[in-house]
Amino acid sequence: MDFFSKAARKSPWLYRINAGSCNGCDVELATTACIPRYDVERLGCQYCGSPKHADIVLITGPLTARVKDKVLRVYNEIPDPKVTVAVGICPISGGVFRESYAIEGPIDRYLPVDVNVPGCPPRPQAIIEGIAKAIEIWAKRA
Amino acid sequence: MTTDTLRTLLTVLVFPGGLFAMALGLALKGVERRAIARLQRRVGPPLIQPFYDLIKLMRKRTLIPDTANAFVFLAVPVAGLASMAVAASMIPIPGFYEPSTGLGNLIVLFYLISIPAVSLMLAGSASGSPYGAIGFSREMAIVLAYEGPILLSLVAVALHAGAVTGQPILLSLTEIVRYQQEHGAFLFDPWMWPALLTYLCFIPANLGIAPFDIPEAESEVLEGPLVEYSGPPLGLMKLMSVTKSVVVLGLGIALFFPNGPAGLAGLFIFLAKCLVLVLAVSVLKAAVGRMRIDQAVLFYLKWPELLGFAGLALVIARF
Ligand code: SF4
Repeated sequence: MDFFSKAARKSPWLYRINAGSCNGCDVELATTACIPRYDVERLGCQYCGSPKHADIVLITGPLTARVKDKVLRVYNEIPDPKVTVAVGICPISGGVFRESYAIEGPIDRYLPVDVNVPGCPPRPQAIIEGIAKAIEIWAKRA
Repeated sequence: MTTDTLRTLLTVLVFPGGLFAMALGLALKGVERRAIARLQRRVGPPLIQPFYDLIKLMRKRTLIPDTANAFVFLAVPVAGLASMAVAASMIPIPGFYEPSTGLGNLIVLFYLISIPAVSLMLAGSASGSPYGAIGFSREMAIVLAYEGPILLSLVAVALHAGAVTGQPILLSLTEIVRYQQEHGAFLFDPWMWPALLTYLCFIPANLGIAPFDIPEAESEVLEGPLVEYSGPPLGLMKLMSVTKSVVVLGLGIALFFPNGPAGLAGLFIFLAKCLVLVLAVSVLKAAVGRMRIDQAVLFYLKWPELLGFAGLALVIARF
């Protein structure tokens, strides 16, 4: 590992994409970052408002037909190198929305997913573990 | 002649402008983030987190949106950072460093300090993004609101320093600092308090600190002017804003409380004062929410403006 990736490893910025989630996972994500108990800023993470600032992208939801194009567009706006984390059971299989006519997922048909965090919604500890795994992958890519 | 030019270049590029100011700014930013985390009972990022962030940004890809004016979009961060490096070299570190007169006086400094705001506006409008445009208009509104008070505060100090040294107006920061070191700081002179308060009000708006971080509100307008930036240009923008914090805090220290021992100890006292100011700013940032842009503009047009006029009137009435 060279100097750059050592530094980059300490500074993964997070961005959330909601691909038609029921909001359960998004609430968990907000909890992970916002409440003092599960502080992810200690890993150097920081939520950013713009996809262009992001390193690790957290996708929630089953990728509904309506939102698919927008999600792909936003995903392409995230500059390389990047790591993708799918949060919740929805992006993996469709979860409770499985086999619905409105669902285009699973999400890895369209996007390269690096880490899956199953659960409906996953526990904050699981999300943090997912982020920690993503940081390992991110350190190799950066 | 050449050694003079070389020395000036060194002050702009290495110490106390350029590298030193940027490193100090990044370190202060780290302290601020850590302090806020501790106030919220979090562990918080490591103190050198801003350095990591900067190095990482230098490694990312730069995306230029189709709608952007590429030249302005890429030139603006460089121009803003350069202006701040020059401005930082004009800030005296009492007892340790005196800027050469060739660099300019308070008026030049005043203009240099407004360049980052102009850069942000240009960045927002050149990016071609609607969020950038909103950030641009908000930045413009708030600049128009705080530019008046800060000017009044600077003029009050310059007039006062001029009156006590027998000149109509004293625009050299070095001499203002020297006078205070001999005759006591303006901080302890009640006649100067309105000007001091005006300056303190100006700090959060200029540095984009809550409740006045409206142009770059990440939860409303996705960091406004910075929304389309990525990679190295974004890093330069961040570097510009941390260097600006050094300039603004350093100017405040030079104007109102430059006293300290000579030599290396003076540098440490200066750093300690910066640290105290940053901690105060972090408490403010952690304690309050964000204002609306119209509230902020009204606030600045009312109170700091009034204080500024009061400070100026006091100085004029006194002599
Ligand atoms: S995994 Fe469960 S909680 Fe998360 S978005 Fe899907 S249905 Fe909602």
